[in-house]
Amino acid sequence: MTDSLFSKGVTEALNFSAVERLCITEPDWLRERREHAWALYEQTPMPTTKLEEWRYTDLRKQLQLDTLSLSQATVVSDDPTAWPKRLRKAMKEDRQASGHIVVIDGHVVHSDLEAELIAKGVILSSLHDAIEQHPSLVENWLATEAVPPEEGKFAALNAALWSDGIFLYVPADVQLNTPIRVTRWLSEAGVAQFGRVLILAENASRISYVDEILSDDFSKQTFASNAVEIIAKERAQVQYVSVQRLGRGAFYQSVQRTLAYRDASLDTLNVALGASVSRVDLNACLLGERANSDMLGLYFGDDDQHFDFNTSQDHISPDTASDLLYKGALDAASRAVFRGIIRVKPTAQRTDAYQTNRNLLLSGNARADSLPNLEIEADDVKCSHGATVGELDPEAKFYLMSRGLSRIQAERLVVLGFLGEVLSKLPLGGVVEKVTRVIEEKLSQH
Amino acid sequence: MPQNETIRDLQLDEYKYNFVTDAEPVYRARKGLSEEVVREISAYKEEPEWMLDSRLKALQVYESKPMPTWGGDLSELDAVLDEIYFYVRPQDRMEHSWEDVPEEIKDTFEKLGIPEAERKVLAGVGAQYESEMVYHSLREEWEKQGVIFDSIEDGLKNHPDLFREYFGTIIPTQDNKFAAMNAAVWSGGSFVYIPPGVHLDTPLQAYFRVNQERMGQFERTLIICDEGASAHYIEGCTAPVYSTESFHSGVIEIVVKKNARFRYTTIQNWSNNMYNLVTQRAVVHEGANMEWLDGNLGSKLTMKYPSCYLVGEGAHGEILSIAYSGDGQHQDTGGKVVHVAPHTTSSIISKSISKGHGRSTYRGLCKVHKGAHHARSNVECDALLINDTSRTDTYPYIEIEEDDANVGHEASVSRIGEEQLFYLTSRGISEEEAMAMIVRGFIEPIAKELPLEYAVELNRLIELEMEGSVG
Repeated sequence: MTDSLFSKGVTEALNFSAVERLCITEPDWLRERREHAWALYEQTPMPTTKLEEWRYTDLRKQLQLDTLSLSQATVVSDDPTAWPKRLRKAMKEDRQASGHIVVIDGHVVHSDLEAELIAKGVILSSLHDAIEQHPSLVENWLATEAVPPEEGKFAALNAALWSDGIFLYVPADVQLNTPIRVTRWLSEAGVAQFGRVLILAENASRISYVDEILSDDFSKQTFASNAVEIIAKERAQVQYVSVQRLGRGAFYQSVQRTLAYRDASLDTLNVALGASVSRVDLNACLLGERANSDMLGLYFGDDDQHFDFNTSQDHISPDTASDLLYKGALDAASRAVFRGIIRVKPTAQRTDAYQTNRNLLLSGNARADSLPNLEIEADDVKCSHGATVGELDPEAKFYLMSRGLSRIQAERLVVLGFLGEVLSKLPLGGVVEKVTRVIEEKLSQH
Repeated sequence: MPQNETIRDLQLDEYKYNFVTDAEPVYRARKGLSEEVVREISAYKEEPEWMLDSRLKALQVYESKPMPTWGGDLSELDAVLDEIYFYVRPQDRMEHSWEDVPEEIKDTFEKLGIPEAERKVLAGVGAQYESEMVYHSLREEWEKQGVIFDSIEDGLKNHPDLFREYFGTIIPTQDNKFAAMNAAVWSGGSFVYIPPGVHLDTPLQAYFRVNQERMGQFERTLIICDEGASAHYIEGCTAPVYSTESFHSGVIEIVVKKNARFRYTTIQNWSNNMYNLVTQRAVVHEGANMEWLDGNLGSKLTMKYPSCYLVGEGAHGEILSIAYSGDGQHQDTGGKVVHVAPHTTSSIISKSISKGHGRSTYRGLCKVHKGAHHARSNVECDALLINDTSRTDTYPYIEIEEDDANVGHEASVSRIGEEQLFYLTSRGISEEEAMAMIVRGFIEPIAKELPLEYAVELNRLIELEMEGSVG
């Protein structure tokens, strides 16, 4: 592919006629939106390492756009016995839930929700079903306020080519006691897959949402794109958890934005364990007074895995608070990039904003780059950030070994303790155990 | 001289430095930058062929590099550069005794306090008036020890081999656009050599001064601190206030050899129309120690990130940085530490104060290369915001390629606490004085590292700047 073609990102599979094919059965407003997004995608140059936000992830080397085809997968039946074994295993590990969605190769093949919640007006469905049944809700919020195509090259590509997604709506004052669990499986190698999530929590509602994406290893590069939009209206409480366990060969790319209105609390946890390259852009917008966001992240790299987190905390209104903690351990020749920024606007007096990134390097070939940034334009604020990169604490290791543990056991315990801090802050049933188990598996290869 | 008299003599106030003397420059190159100007400078300085070639090559590099788009706002800089003189020379020859210095220039130095400094037998005094060293003295015993403290021009003339061995090796022409510009038109600055094992217990001082409207100053300093030696170099500069933009772009190269110790202190208080774009770098060898103490109080925009390249085992680098930004000012400053060798350690401490519409930015890099095992680095940044229109940013870069390393970065932003103010005012202290006290306390960890005269200047300046900040 020539440079200019790469820069445009138009390939044999990713092009305008692919967009047109998706539009055939869709309403006009959606067609217009997709066409607009595609035009933006073509106009926006492919990010290069000359851009500050892409300084450490070289797409030219890491993304082979021209080798990707679009998914040809047909819909699998709603019968679990027809689903991949690992998908079923992942679901079995989950504890109680208010509802489930299963997505296989971009198609929503199953969804269920407690009858009581359906009666209260909670909606959990595929995006396509939601467009048919609740058109105005989706039209108002899909790729408009949270992740519009103007957001960037990948947001535009996703908005033009998304094949299906998940829609979750919680009416005012409805509170879910157990999480909504979404499990996605990818089986096709060499494809580009585009999914979306739209969560709308009305005033004083409460939900937790856990989204797990997984696959086996791929024989050739596979591109999984995700756009996540979460809106928490006044006094709503939302918890969003994403667990990424894709196989090697996957390029995972996710753009997420959370909008927190007055007195809302909107917490996120991004767990990155799989894929060859993983890029997450997360923006938390504290729109209303006293809105609050806790932002947690956890990653464990081995082989030559490459993780890139680009986070921002935007404080727009007074008395808002955000607290970010991203921790990762890096083994073998893996690499992590954390770039975070706290922006406090002049209107956001009495903001409390914190940002911490800690990295543990377990191997001489691992690498960590950390860029915790602050831009403060209000004076009555409490802001701080910290970043560390270090080795395993030799004293903690020595202490454990003096208690009879082997060196390897001691190292594992120290790493689990280091990462466990993140999980303990959002202790959703099933998530902690599952993530801990996957990290233990990874550590056993250390 | 009694100490309080010294302090009075050195007191800074806003008007004292806002004066212009009538020194008529002997030679002045034409406005703007061109190959002709570069050739004229080199010919005027009677430089060897290789230096002219080096200047011309640098000019090409300068022209090929785009204007940086990061850091401060440089959008108006091109227009400024077209209007400035790239070389001004006030007189024909170097003066070595005070009596020979022309009256008008003496008058300027008088106001800057240099005669006092001389009376105090401060090490060697090299004062840069406009673009060149005009006055130099060096304590006799140091001369005997082989210490060289010359103008950069004399360094090239009198010590050509030593000069050529190091010149442009620490900061190559290609490093950045403004380093290339400096390499093309440099003029003035110091050449310092401290022989092995020599310890200087009084600092070397150079006063800088720009006095010609729209005149660029491109000082170039090269310092070699040889094995086991130790020294402290102090540079401070002030400039009169003019309404048109002004430009300063220095390059400071320092080599700290095995087991040597060197400290470079600089306080800039350029007038608020100055673009101050400086490259400062030290290469630190085995067991050696380098400290940058960097104070940025003046200028319209400063972009300056003193750096330590720790290339020898056990080398240590330290950067203490203090920035003050008032209305119309942007201090984009910080530091860089690059760990290349094992067991190297470093620390960066940065404190900034933003007042009115001022903006202070910390921008720093901590890099640990593969193989620099047991590297340790710590970075602390604290920002103080005085008004609700002030702004502060922190952009640290941390790049670690070695697992056996420990690196930490911490930053905080705060404003003067209501409780602090209440406590002090309830003790009968005026609000203004209370603010000044709190700010002085905030910068104290860095101020205490300064030589007394500078600490006094700094405190006085803070007081002046806090005036009218209440309300």
